[in-house]
Amino acid sequence: MMTLVFVSLAILALACMLLLAKGRVASTGKVEHLAAQLRSVDVAAFRNLIDPGEEQYLRANLPAAEFRTVQRERVLAAIEYVSCAARNAAILTRLGDAARHSPNPSTAEAGAKLVDTAIRVRIYAFHAMATLYWGLILPSPRFSPARITEGYEQMTRLVVLLGVFQQAPQGVAAAL
Amino acid sequence: MTVARALWYYLWIAPHLLLVVILVVMLVRGLHRLFPMFFLYTLFEICQFALLLYTAFHYRYHSNFGAEYTRFYSAGLALSTTLRFGVIYEAVVQLLRNYPALEKSGRSGFRMVTAALLLLAVGVAASTPGHVTSGLLISITQVLNQAVSVLQCGLLIFLFSFSRYFALSWRSQAFGIALGLGIFASVELATSALRLHLGPSGNNFLNYFTMGTYHLCVLIWLFYLIASGGPPSYNSQDFSQHDLEAWNLQLQKMVKK
Repeated sequence: MMTLVFVSLAILALACMLLLAKGRVASTGKVEHLAAQLRSVDVAAFRNLIDPGEEQYLRANLPAAEFRTVQRERVLAAIEYVSCAARNAAILTRLGDAARHSPNPSTAEAGAKLVDTAIRVRIYAFHAMATLYWGLILPSPRFSPARITEGYEQMTRLVVLLGVFQQAPQGVAAAL
Repeated sequence: MTVARALWYYLWIAPHLLLVVILVVMLVRGLHRLFPMFFLYTLFEICQFALLLYTAFHYRYHSNFGAEYTRFYSAGLALSTTLRFGVIYEAVVQLLRNYPALEKSGRSGFRMVTAALLLLAVGVAASTPGHVTSGLLISITQVLNQAVSVLQCGLLIFLFSFSRYFALSWRSQAFGIALGLGIFASVELATSALRLHLGPSGNNFLNYFTMGTYHLCVLIWLFYLIASGGPPSYNSQDFSQHDLEAWNLQLQKMVKK
């Protein structure tokens, strides 16, 4: 019985590693297609969704059963927003990674900052998703969106900056 | 010499000759400075092979050939396994080096996963009985090998998942080294469990299988060490005008808030 368990575990581990490695190999060398995969995230709408004041208002004005249904829908929508932000952050990590090897120092610097910020957004998103999913099962401590929204805003600024360095002639980029 | 015997010698000797090529490639490309632990591991594997080859030919007509060979093999396996942990740690360091934002959390995550897997490995070792008809040293070696394989598989899966989640770009050599080790560790996990279950009767087939897998892993290492490990290329048209406008609009909305 134990032998079967270990052999199954080994096959599972091998499949898992090959699958993860395949993803890495497939994603290599396709940096130019990444920007097209970015999806817009409405940060204002996300803030509204997880606003404690809004939640209080709904709790006070809706019957308990209806509030629970609405709140569940709000949390699911917030999860969708966070996963979208996390997906964008993963794409921007790779774009930033490529940009930081650019011969243009301004682009390289913006790329390095973008990688750093995108990774932070990804870490915050991981925590946020855990909290939000946990909140679906059990009432949990209130989720604070500040870090993820601030990180996302910073990331957006860096994307714009990086885009400007690419689109603008060298002289304009240097002046920014 | 039968075909099976020829295959046996091929699977035993060829990977180690390829390891010599790996050693040379690493020296020529300066990769021994970047991956000192893997360099040491490769060197050790070659030395161990030379010692085992000498033992096999020198003691082949002696009555205690089996015991001598097993002793050298077990000691070598213990050292080789220790070095493999060093290689995994080296891959982690290489991966995190370019990402300051992740260095602290990555290392602490790696330590936590290692501690959890260590407990699991100890549990595995404690709960696995050795095979009665195998010698004591062989049984202990297989039980420990199984426990260590659990630990190494877990660490490598964590490493691959971690890099995938954060979309980190590995140097292709580090990726290849980790991939080869991962394949070998998972096959070792299965074969050590089967050896403990089947005893000496299943050794022949399992030896061919393990040696074949090791040959494949050496080829993977060689391929990735020869392949260029340069950074991803940057296309200045990554963001189209449309993308830039969309993100700019988003930024304006945020600033207005």
